[in-house]
Amino acid sequence: MKLISKTLLYYLLISLPLLVFAGLFSYFLIKAELRDGTDETLVSEKINAEKLIRSVKPISTIYLSSDSLSNIRVVNKPKMETRLYDTLIYDLEENENISARILRSHFTVDKINYQITVVKTTMEEEELLEGILTTFTLIVGFLIFAFIIVNWLLSKILWKPFYNTLSQLNKYDIKNHEHYHFKHEKTTEFNQLNDALNKMIDKIYSDYVQQKEFTENASHEMQTPLAVVKANLSLLMQSPNLKEDEMDRLQTIENTIKKLSSLNKALILLSKIENNQFNDTETVNIKTITSRITNNYADVIQSKNINLELKLNDDLFVKMNTVLAEILITNLLQNAIRHNEDNGLISIELKDNQLSVSNTGVPLNIPEEHLFMRFKKDDASKDSLGLGLSIVNGIIKLYGFKINYSHSNSLHRFKVLFKKDLL
Amino acid sequence: MKILLIEDEPDLRKSIKQYLHQEGYVVESAADFVKATEKAGVYDYDCILVDITLPKGSGLDIVKQLKDKGSKAGIIIISAKNSSTDKIKGLDLGADDYLAKPFDLAELNSRIKALIRRRNFDGNKSIIVNEITIVPEQRQVSVKGEAVTLTAKEYDLLMFFVSNKNRVVSKNSIAEHLWGDDSDQMDSHDFIYVHLRNLRKKLMDKGCNDYVQTIYGIGYNFKID
Repeated sequence: MKLISKTLLYYLLISLPLLVFAGLFSYFLIKAELRDGTDETLVSEKINAEKLIRSVKPISTIYLSSDSLSNIRVVNKPKMETRLYDTLIYDLEENENISARILRSHFTVDKINYQITVVKTTMEEEELLEGILTTFTLIVGFLIFAFIIVNWLLSKILWKPFYNTLSQLNKYDIKNHEHYHFKHEKTTEFNQLNDALNKMIDKIYSDYVQQKEFTENASHEMQTPLAVVKANLSLLMQSPNLKEDEMDRLQTIENTIKKLSSLNKALILLSKIENNQFNDTETVNIKTITSRITNNYADVIQSKNINLELKLNDDLFVKMNTVLAEILITNLLQNAIRHNEDNGLISIELKDNQLSVSNTGVPLNIPEEHLFMRFKKDDASKDSLGLGLSIVNGIIKLYGFKINYSHSNSLHRFKVLFKKDLL
Repeated sequence: MKILLIEDEPDLRKSIKQYLHQEGYVVESAADFVKATEKAGVYDYDCILVDITLPKGSGLDIVKQLKDKGSKAGIIIISAKNSSTDKIKGLDLGADDYLAKPFDLAELNSRIKALIRRRNFDGNKSIIVNEITIVPEQRQVSVKGEAVTLTAKEYDLLMFFVSNKNRVVSKNSIAEHLWGDDSDQMDSHDFIYVHLRNLRKKLMDKGCNDYVQTIYGIGYNFKID
């Protein structure tokens, strides 16, 4: 619910009962005031009638009004208290009952008893109620209307900085942090808000940078100790008279060191890609790179008895970093080699702006959505680092390309959709 | 042959020194920027190995200083940062080669040999190992005067063996030499064997001795008596 609707709702929730109460109060107040007024008139008319009796001393009934309702009669009743009361009178002309106020009083002059009756028609209650209701409805309507207008104007003027902040916040992208700064505002609250937001995004950004740099720094720091181990291992291997089991152990250590340094290199590469440190882009021909890399791997492919089908039809020029283009294609090819089987097949096809790399192999035993995640790997591929496809995905994301995986006819297929460089 | 090793990590310095010493080089070392510039300024070296991140300064500045004073020493940068920017910067300043840590000592050795070979224009242009003659500039190999046609990988393998003769080289270091970074992700031992088998066969067909000894579990030794 919008702020303005919510305010309006609360406003109505509070003002409606208040207005109803005010309406009722005015109704009773006006009614009482009107009656007081009527009563005063009646009393003064009664006094006039008494004056008239005193001066005229009538012996029969005198009518005081044309409708003959107010009159002075000679009666033989004993003297009574003056009474004021409401009544209904049937109006012949309008053919309806109308409400009226009557004052009945007795007056004695020279031992003759007179009965004075003065009548005044009063406004009907319904009319009064109707009038008040109409007035109040109009007031409520006008208030809501005014409220909406005022709020709209306020939100246009007063809340403008807030909406500005909001839209800026919505667009916030941590990778372009430098472009974001919430302005100084004249309104204290909004200024405080913007200050707080500036502090917050600065903190988030510095944490983000630290986090990003951590992997890279940690991996770099590991390179030198790894070099020390590797160097000493080489020296150790030169010792004469090594026993077979000692050689086995040396080999195991060397393989492990190799794996560790590969892992390290891959992690550095991955964080460099994510930190956007490959910023020199040029136009590269995917066809040339693919054919060069497959050529490099020809003997590996051959040694594994894998058939290679290469269909590189068109040149495909793409704007990207050359090193990354090579890594992208190498990793896809290595993946296809690693997860292949004896007498298997690798098929690489380049068509339009699509490069697809397919290979035979056992079906995936990890969920498809884990394919591109770090360290999510098939149980069977112990030698794999589990970073190759993450690196591929990192490069794809960096340049806004697309990659999808599919499995059909017992072929795993990765299809990369490049963005053509329109030269 | 005199080599200056500029490296701040003592253990690494010690092992590199020992390995190169066994190769018959005279190796001096410096642990920080100040000592390195002192030594490089006073003595002449055939080859200088320099780490980029050093206490009190950057190895790149040493490269610059050496080039500014017209030093003829070959320079190999050894760095923990395998960054293309550093590599390009170093090579632009005039370094001859760039090796990222963790590297193999056999690899370092073969790079030093290749560098010294390239620098010694006036010296002998071919490498002679008993009956094998190699002309690196033309990548030509002959046995007892008869040319042997080798593939690029077979030639690289032979050069690696010859550079590290009488030393045990592991299969991993061979793979790294032949494949560079690509060897990381590969289970490469099988096809090393294929290349080795072909190389051996081609050499022996021309009447060459089989110098390659298989060292159980680890790798090979190109043994020349």
